[in-house]
Amino acid sequence: MKMNAYNKPLPIPTADSQPFWDACRESKLTCQRCDDCGTARFPPHHVCSNCLSVNASWEEMSGKGSVFSFTVFRRVYDPGFADEVPYVVALIELDEGPRMLSNVVSIDPDIVVCGMPVKVVFEKATEEITLPKFVPTES
Amino acid sequence: MSKTLSRSRGRFAIIGVGNTSGGVMPLTSTGDAMFAEAAIMAIKEAGIDKAEINGLVTHGTEDTRVHQQRIGAMLGIQADFATSVDNGGASQVCSIITACMAIDAGLADVVLCGYSADYRAKIHRAGKKQAVQLVPESMLAEQFRFEFGYFGEMASYAFGATRHMHLYGTTKEDFARVAVTQRDYASRNPDAQYRKPITVDEHLNARRIVDPFGLLDCCPVSDGAGVVIVARADRAANIKKNTAYILGYGTGNNIGGLFAGENMSQTAGLVSSKTAYEMAGITPKDVDTAQFYDTTTAQTIIQLEDYGFCKKGEGGAFVQSGATGPDGVIPTNTAGGLLSEGHVAGMWHILEGVRQVRQSHPAERQVSGAEIAVISGNGGNSVCHGSLVLSRNPS
Ligand SMILES: [Zn+2]
Repeated sequence: MKMNAYNKPLPIPTADSQPFWDACRESKLTCQRCDDCGTARFPPHHVCSNCLSVNASWEEMSGKGSVFSFTVFRRVYDPGFADEVPYVVALIELDEGPRMLSNVVSIDPDIVVCGMPVKVVFEKATEEITLPKFVPTES
Repeated sequence: MSKTLSRSRGRFAIIGVGNTSGGVMPLTSTGDAMFAEAAIMAIKEAGIDKAEINGLVTHGTEDTRVHQQRIGAMLGIQADFATSVDNGGASQVCSIITACMAIDAGLADVVLCGYSADYRAKIHRAGKKQAVQLVPESMLAEQFRFEFGYFGEMASYAFGATRHMHLYGTTKEDFARVAVTQRDYASRNPDAQYRKPITVDEHLNARRIVDPFGLLDCCPVSDGAGVVIVARADRAANIKKNTAYILGYGTGNNIGGLFAGENMSQTAGLVSSKTAYEMAGITPKDVDTAQFYDTTTAQTIIQLEDYGFCKKGEGGAFVQSGATGPDGVIPTNTAGGLLSEGHVAGMWHILEGVRQVRQSHPAERQVSGAEIAVISGNGGNSVCHGSLVLSRNPS
């Protein structure tokens, strides 16, 4: 393996999610909004779970939200994360409504709490994939 | 009271049960062999000829398809009604509910329900040292999960535990009390996978896995099987000794998923138990023992709340009061639960409920005078839920 080669699992975009990952590459956090009933949705889906409309548009979100809940991984489940433990996996409730699974980074895992305000940062993994992660903000 | 629900009250019964012992089988064992062993025991206990069995409802491990066909062929059961069910950890309770519905519809008279797990043996056969990956390889090509280092079943329940602690002030000491109490029960169960008593300190100092959980908050990987035979209650009257009546049952699904609403801190047992109680014509006060699907210590606490044994958010204090112990108001997971008896995906919870209401346990394991047991199955990332109310008497 080459030095610095990215060795963690990578997302495999689908037809529905490709626009999300394309936007991440440009440091934009986006979600779909139903053209018919206005419901914001994430993760990406073909259909609106509120009204079954298949018409939706992508829009940029503020990237701000708060930690709904989280866990700190102490055990290594995948060798790619051997140097990362302990790391925070969190469910972020975005200000626009949708919830998104991600990591809270640049913080001591022991001081993360539910309700903590966070904002998005982007970490380039490969040429194709940039991952949205979150850092704490001043309340 | 809904007439539709109460019409099923006490119309069905479990007439025989069987299980392998241990949770740790020889690594060369197969799931089918374990299933056969449990089935032979259940058929014998029911006192029936296997030719009388004309229904088969099973659940295979995640890598099996049409499991019921293999089981039917192996046991020579010519089942007119046969199916597999998949509700994750709720599958075993839902198998029995499916059996009741099939009998009610006239599709079958006597139904054999069963599950066997051979995960440890599978790991051995695959030559792996690490815990078996329960997610099929094909599903690993997912997004919004693994790229963030989110692996394993325990993490899902950890999200819920963290949330419960945040909302209600539940503590790791509360989780410890659950683990210690259930291990105490398991120490009296010769079939339990883990029998050595543990202390609160040992729990709190155990290797950390996914916060807030340490090793002793998490259920083990186990091997083993359980089989239950279901029939009409009037038929059961002839074989009273080994009968537990099905007073009520219910289902619920937090179908929006673990991450929607407050689903991570409350199970669909909230809905499922209400249905089961209504069908049974009882309230939580009438229940003598509970067997809750306890993937983690937190799940025991959460379901004590959802099933109405204490108020939402008070589960931690409730277990600290000793409520779930042998002398408590609701002795819970009295064979040790998934945490200590072993993870046979809840089938052994059903068997324990049956044995408690039959009052067939030796004194040190018997909940004194137990007449009514409630049993939960919870699975599919804590989305699917099923409840059973078993009774010593048909009404
Ligand atoms: Zn819509």
